[in-house]
Amino acid sequence: MFRIEKNSERHFELKPTKKQTKFYNSSMYDLLLLFISLFAGFLGALLGLGGGIIVVPALTLFFDVDIRYAVAASLVSIIATSSGAAAGFLKDHLTNLRLAVILETGTVAGAITGFLISSEIRSSWLYLLFGVFLFFSALMMFRKKHDAHTDTNHPWSEKLKLASTFPNEKGEKIFYNVAQVPLGILSMYFAGVLSALLGIGSGIFKVMAMDHVMKLPLKVSSATSNFMIGVTATASAGAYFLRGDIRPEIVSPVAIGIIIGSWLGAKVMTRMRDTYIRKIFIIVLFIVSIQMFFKGLSS
Amino acid sequence: MKPLDGLELKIAWFLRIGVITAGVILLSGWLTKFKLSGNPLFNFQTYDQIYLTDLIQFHLKNKDWGVLLSYAGLVILILLPFIRVLLTSYLFIRQGEYRLAMIAVAVLLGLMISMSLGINI
Repeated sequence: MFRIEKNSERHFELKPTKKQTKFYNSSMYDLLLLFISLFAGFLGALLGLGGGIIVVPALTLFFDVDIRYAVAASLVSIIATSSGAAAGFLKDHLTNLRLAVILETGTVAGAITGFLISSEIRSSWLYLLFGVFLFFSALMMFRKKHDAHTDTNHPWSEKLKLASTFPNEKGEKIFYNVAQVPLGILSMYFAGVLSALLGIGSGIFKVMAMDHVMKLPLKVSSATSNFMIGVTATASAGAYFLRGDIRPEIVSPVAIGIIIGSWLGAKVMTRMRDTYIRKIFIIVLFIVSIQMFFKGLSS
Repeated sequence: MKPLDGLELKIAWFLRIGVITAGVILLSGWLTKFKLSGNPLFNFQTYDQIYLTDLIQFHLKNKDWGVLLSYAGLVILILLPFIRVLLTSYLFIRQGEYRLAMIAVAVLLGLMISMSLGINI
């Protein structure tokens, strides 16, 4: 096994790598990564998250991959989850396309702001703050147990025809209104700021904002978030790709696993009861909140 | 105002074809490497900043077609959401949804700005 060593601007040579004798010196490890990614894609499609919360720890802890390559791979995993699941969600009318396009403005604007203020903010405090915030959000969701519902449609929603229907697990069409559209856009703006400041995918914030603020059914929130995260991740992924951080040797099994997993996740989500999805989301929310809290303490 | 069903199906079709194409190309490249090498992940335990252009040159020189094929798959995959936004704005215009088309164009411009700044979203 060899690695590319850069010893001048445009000259490389091959050198043997460290730890070649370890037990995982076989292609089976690639297969293991494929299956982990498949699970990440499945969960990501189900919950509207990018799968980075699984892919990054798996690559760094199990496979000893440098964090920068792992983060770059997780961006591709977000795109793969989003694109892989979006086709199914659009076909099943779970994604609210109009709403996604409107909310994307908030996320992109927030990300640009986050980038501009990043030198002024200490990320460790933000990790702690949002670790606590996510923990209490998880508690609130745990107590609520069912989808929020609103009978009133916001005037912007009226004007832009955002209210829509989605099929439940029995295939019946369920009508939903969209509440507090400006606050929803503002929430997406803060989700974008956070993503840029903390370098995390903001799927979890997007789903929560749509659930808590805009009172959307969780399936719609998850599918719409899924649709949006691919767009936001692609901007960063482009920069990482040109910089050479996205390496096919790592990303190929990740992307293939994620594509298959997200396709399966999209299939299962339409048939799954909202309450089950909510329970899984709460568990993931607790795990992410603890992860963020400890990251804040350690950084 | 027409319902978006047709538009949603067109975007769904585009994404499905794009993902399958990228997936098949990535799989082909990966399988080629899978046969030839033991564990490529060992190479990435430490970070080496090597630009894409240099990597492509290196793999071209070594005729590493599997890796080059994977790069082609990655380009398709990464560009999919960008093209999706572009397609969405075009389809909104065709549907007569000018307000939403303008919003989609604004998103695209925002993405281009953030990409040029190298922002991690």
